[in-house]
Amino acid sequence: MAQNQLKTQYNDLKRSFDAKPSDLKKCGLLLAKLKIGLIETGLLTPQGEHNVDDLVVARDILEIGAIWSIRTRDVPSFDRYFSQLQTFYTDYSSVLPPSKNEYPIRGLNLIRLLTQNRIADFHTTLESLPLPADAIADNQYISHPVNLEQWLMEGSYSKVWNARERAPVEEYKFFVDSLMGTIRNEIASCEEAAYESLPLKDALTLLFFNTQSELLTFAQKRGWQIDLSKSAITFATKGEEQVEIPKQMLISSSLAYARELEQIV
Amino acid sequence: MPSEMKSEKEDKKDEKKQEIKEEEEVKKEPPTPLAEIKGNFVLIDRAVSTLEPRFTHRVLRTLTTLVKKIDVAIIRNAIEEVYPKESATKTTLLSWLPSSTTEDVDMQVDSIPTSATTAKPVPITSEPVPEIDIYLRLLIINQLLKTGGDISKAKDLSFETVKKMQALNRRSLDSIAAKVWFAVERAFELGGDLAEARPMFLAAQRTAALRHDDDTQASLINRLLRSYLAYSLYDQADKLVSKTTFPASAGNPQYARYHYYLGRIKAVQLNYSDAHTNLQQAIRRAPPATVAPGFYQAVHKLFVVVELLMGDIPDRSIFRHPVLEKPLKGYFEIVKAVRTGSLSQFQQTVLKHATLFQADKTHTLITRLRQNVIKTGIRRLSLAYSLISLKDICVKLHLDSEEDAEYIVGKAIRDGVIDGRLVHEKGWMTCGGAGGVKRGYGAEVAETFSRRIGYCLELHNQSVKAMRYPLNAHRKELADAEGAREREKELAKEIQEGDLDDEDLGGEF
Repeated sequence: MAQNQLKTQYNDLKRSFDAKPSDLKKCGLLLAKLKIGLIETGLLTPQGEHNVDDLVVARDILEIGAIWSIRTRDVPSFDRYFSQLQTFYTDYSSVLPPSKNEYPIRGLNLIRLLTQNRIADFHTTLESLPLPADAIADNQYISHPVNLEQWLMEGSYSKVWNARERAPVEEYKFFVDSLMGTIRNEIASCEEAAYESLPLKDALTLLFFNTQSELLTFAQKRGWQIDLSKSAITFATKGEEQVEIPKQMLISSSLAYARELEQIV
Repeated sequence: MPSEMKSEKEDKKDEKKQEIKEEEEVKKEPPTPLAEIKGNFVLIDRAVSTLEPRFTHRVLRTLTTLVKKIDVAIIRNAIEEVYPKESATKTTLLSWLPSSTTEDVDMQVDSIPTSATTAKPVPITSEPVPEIDIYLRLLIINQLLKTGGDISKAKDLSFETVKKMQALNRRSLDSIAAKVWFAVERAFELGGDLAEARPMFLAAQRTAALRHDDDTQASLINRLLRSYLAYSLYDQADKLVSKTTFPASAGNPQYARYHYYLGRIKAVQLNYSDAHTNLQQAIRRAPPATVAPGFYQAVHKLFVVVELLMGDIPDRSIFRHPVLEKPLKGYFEIVKAVRTGSLSQFQQTVLKHATLFQADKTHTLITRLRQNVIKTGIRRLSLAYSLISLKDICVKLHLDSEEDAEYIVGKAIRDGVIDGRLVHEKGWMTCGGAGGVKRGYGAEVAETFSRRIGYCLELHNQSVKAMRYPLNAHRKELADAEGAREREKELAKEIQEGDLDDEDLGGEF
């Protein structure tokens, strides 16, 4: 009985999700109900043997949930759906037929880690992908975040900027905005260190701003001095920082040496 | 650790003096495998009766060399000799051995003289301790794995052995159990379903932790880590590491493995300096390169990559080491590419050795090196030129566009890789010259110093801890001291009483 109800709700969900534009509100309601249904049937975090069809349905629901979370801009919810999907992707990978949504969702997760600047997690996740290393380059869903990361690390920010339009799935773009914010801050901190002064016009292009007013507010936020007559930004050079002697540390380590020496002699 | 070894050696010396004759026999003649096994039985027996795990450790130390020498017939003989005629254990043990095929027959011919030379044993009536049973099982599993044909049988046997061990629950079994777990893992891994064994390992690890069974625990943590890493489950492995404490009393080989796995996890998590320390520990604790070349090579491969990722260039001598030279050839080329900072050479090398790196599971780590190559390249340029246009940088480093070059140089300046300035209007980079060695005073030096001191102190303390004192050895000394004091007292008394004859003092006169 519960199974039947689940089935109809699932079909409902699928219909409202596939509709263009999809009915996000209704999806959310249905997802909440379906999750309760999944828990009741023990399919949310399956253990042991299950009917393959049931598992596929459960996986589909969770996948829709993950994508739905992105569309409603709810990242923590995406995180939850993704960790629930992990079970299906890893433990049941030998039983289930591969899902066409698997790699897009994995890629989304990678981008999410990237935008949150969790580089260590990014690499751990990347390492645990069930893909041989050369297949990563061929898989557009995965190669996109991988390239982004590489460019970010080496500093080819313009490539990142240009790649934002080339997202393989629509949902990737959701993360692009926050990614651009991160990049801008990165570039700004580089500029502070690398230039003495910079013409406004060039700063505009370097920071990917469209209008001067955007740039001005950004510059204000970072505390840059703007010389409008010369139309240039000058960066305050940081003076030699006074090096402070770490007294506390020196004392404590000297004491520790003394103590240890006493033990030895 | 040298002092540990020394103390152990002394230990053995002491022990040897008290050793019973039969033991000496085993030592002297280059022992036949059968005799060696039998000698081991004696040791195990003693370990059980004296509750001294040291003897068992000694038995297990010879395991690898022993396994290489024995065959089915030898094991069979050993079983026949140690068990009474109609023993249930014996029949079960024998049933696990492959029935003598034609191959075995001629092997048996070889081994018959050995059993003939050993004195005809008195018929044994009592059942030997269960430790011996488990030890024999361990030998059988290893034998099955060695021949390679009987993986499933080895798996079954190991499974049953584990059950038996758990039912017996004897502390004197612990160190043998640790080895059995290793054999279990081997069996499952060769069978290709390491993941299946994981729940079993986890359960056993829990029990071992509760019982403070350090040997087994150390072995099992390594088994689990290996199983996680084999399936690239770095998250789980990391969690396991953070939730468990590796027993401090574990042996060096276990420590070496543990450090290697830790190094691998840390490297994936971009924590290169920790990975570096762990791998260094692994190298230090590993058995000599000639004994375990596989491990030595694997650790060094990762070590080289991690060192590169840290921005260091590995020692040239590593690549000249006879054990490492050949397997590390691909890595050497990578090092060369990184050192010269040539992106194109780097990419060519990666492509050329891609399969090698994938087999070593270092490919993703190596692709991360790309940014290091660029950094080294920029650094070299900044040292060579005082003024260079972005366009030239772009050409020299094979970057895609001038725009990229500008960002990359900017980042390098911010990260402190080079000391320079960008002049956007003119499109060039001015470099700060050679006076940039300002760092290196003050806090940083103190920190390095205290780290090194800390290491030395740690080494000293560990060595002190590792020294071992045989039980009751101090009694003898005490007795000696007591006697000496007694004599002194007497002497003093005699002097006082003036009883001392002149003859007593100087006999020559």
